[in-house]
Amino acid sequence: MTDVLFPLMSGAEGATGVIVTWFVESGDEVTPSTLIAEVAVDKVDAEVYPEDSGIITLLVEENREVRQGALIAQVS
Amino acid sequence: MTSTLSGHKQSPALAVEPDAGKRKLSTSKAMQEAISQRMMRDESVFVMGEDVGSYGGIFSSTTGLLDRFGPERVRDTPISETAFIGLGIGAAVEGLRPIVELMFADFFGVCMDQIYNHMAKIHYESGGNVRVPMVLMMAAGGGYSDGAQHSQCLWGTFAHLPGMKVVVPSNPYDAKGLMTAAIESDDPVVFVFHKGVMGLGWMAKNERSIGAVPEEEYVVPIGKARVAREGTDVSIVTLSLSVHHSLDVAEKLESEGISVEVIDLRSLVPLDREAIVRSVSKTGRLIVVDEDYQSFGLSGEVIAVVAEHDPSLLKRVSRVCVPDVPIPYARALEYAVLPTPARIEAAVRDAVAT
Repeated sequence: MTDVLFPLMSGAEGATGVIVTWFVESGDEVTPSTLIAEVAVDKVDAEVYPEDSGIITLLVEENREVRQGALIAQVS
Repeated sequence: MTSTLSGHKQSPALAVEPDAGKRKLSTSKAMQEAISQRMMRDESVFVMGEDVGSYGGIFSSTTGLLDRFGPERVRDTPISETAFIGLGIGAAVEGLRPIVELMFADFFGVCMDQIYNHMAKIHYESGGNVRVPMVLMMAAGGGYSDGAQHSQCLWGTFAHLPGMKVVVPSNPYDAKGLMTAAIESDDPVVFVFHKGVMGLGWMAKNERSIGAVPEEEYVVPIGKARVAREGTDVSIVTLSLSVHHSLDVAEKLESEGISVEVIDLRSLVPLDREAIVRSVSKTGRLIVVDEDYQSFGLSGEVIAVVAEHDPSLLKRVSRVCVPDVPIPYARALEYAVLPTPARIEAAVRDAVAT
């Protein structure tokens, strides 16, 4: 099982962001080329791709505020 | 941009409206992908406009293109719409396929001579000898308090003037296929995207702005409406963000036994008149939902299509549009004039009550 973390986008200590969009649902098959999410910190967007292939489980809802580096999904 | 007349390759092999598959994108990413895929294999295609480069388009229509294709093919321009739209027309006439972004549709006023006296008329005035294969892309629509000069739709204005195709997608699948078709078209195409269908996090996001999109290139033919939802009691003929609202209303009213058909026009020019007549022939009740101004525009045209075909088809007809006022800045006032789900629902209830 591998973790998907909220990307580090800001140099500020404890910066938070949101998941703008999940492009997959829990139970979907993903690969490292699957766009799984768009996230934002201070209105700057970034795309998230998983490191490994497998079945994804989403752990955070869209629009919920989360810290950078926080666990947002797992691939098993 | 040095490659010219021979650079364009036609692509007769592209799929037409293939199965959507499972991979999901937002409408903005679907547009980016369409432009990027075409630029990859056709050197005559380039992008130009205000903030299309490092900013990626203020509504994310061109994100990532500068990194991939460089500043020769993705050009930021000064705030001089007449100049850069004229430049695009010249490039198109000489054999390139420019995609020029006007940014807001509202800005058409300063460059309308280039758009409708040149871009739209050169083919006609040259006796059909000179073509203008150009895409003029622009953002439209309100709902986020941007005021009367940044919230208009105006697609009816472009559609009124002969010589331009006018394309208005509502979802990621159509946006990609229509953008590909627009770039391929040898005619000038005005491609209007509503900010509210782009799937942007900083706007109110309807889930219908995210959807399955094939990874390969394909076309959605320009001029073909889509039955977004089948129904039997009333036809809503609409486009763009209003498709999302109309589908939301249709789903809500289904539990009450009211069956709403929703037609997504997808383009104003050409207008799929047959699809309109086909739907109203079935339901006998027509509601046109349009975020453009009510009078002298698309909504009247749609009703005229049915009336000219057979006025006896119409048991009921109404419109849900922006009354003929500028779009207010104040949120409460703005939402009083927009074609909101509440106004659409009231129109449906009124239509089926008789």
